[in-house]
Amino acid sequence: MAKKKVNFEKIKEEIKKLISEITEIPIDELKDGADFTKDLGIDSMMALEMVAAIEKKYKIVVPEEDIPNIRNLKSIYEILEKKLKK
Amino acid sequence: MQTIWNIDKIQEVLPQRPPFLFVDKVVEIDTVKGKVVCIKNVTINDYFFKGHFPRNPVMPGVIMIEALAQASIILFAVLKPEVASKHPDYLFGKVEAKFHRIVKPGDVLFLEVEKKKILSGGGIVSGRALVKDEIAVSSQITFGVKPKKSRL
Repeated sequence: MAKKKVNFEKIKEEIKKLISEITEIPIDELKDGADFTKDLGIDSMMALEMVAAIEKKYKIVVPEEDIPNIRNLKSIYEILEKKLKK
Repeated sequence: MQTIWNIDKIQEVLPQRPPFLFVDKVVEIDTVKGKVVCIKNVTINDYFFKGHFPRNPVMPGVIMIEALAQASIILFAVLKPEVASKHPDYLFGKVEAKFHRIVKPGDVLFLEVEKKKILSGGGIVSGRALVKDEIAVSSQITFGVKPKKSRL
């Protein structure tokens, strides 16, 4: 159990790096609770690219109905944690 | 080559009109894979050859990208008919492209687009334009789909 948690910390770092590359926002500015639209200026097409990149990297499918709930990094972690546990 | 959508059906879906309509017919629709194949017959009558270039007609790369984008709208309409039937605006988000071969009058351009991700509000597709079996352009297109705002 403890080991799994450590791995997820690593995944969080990977996601941050991935999102930083897509949005061209420096990693330090990507705070877990920062709102993608209001605080970071991420538009819907960048969000689409983020979802596609995450799906490809972790070989998962994020259902369309989950996408409006992606407001910040934390919500991405939650979706991914649920998916990867299965 | 079987025609699945003719020009009338295409114009029900695409907002573009001649001389800026670059899909002549749809020859393949695969809803399982999320793929469509369209054809653009390139002819000396195409308006852009007048200036691109005098006495050396070469189809502009940006027009090939536009043709792939129009094929992408058709793919979107096949996969999300309930959104497309409301005639939304389609917007480019990002284009990555590589050009491999020039295209001249007389060439038949096959426009193959396949979904990577399609949502109601936009999509990412990979597209290829081919002449015979030779790739002319390979690209990835990200686009947005927005409900039409009422215009004054």
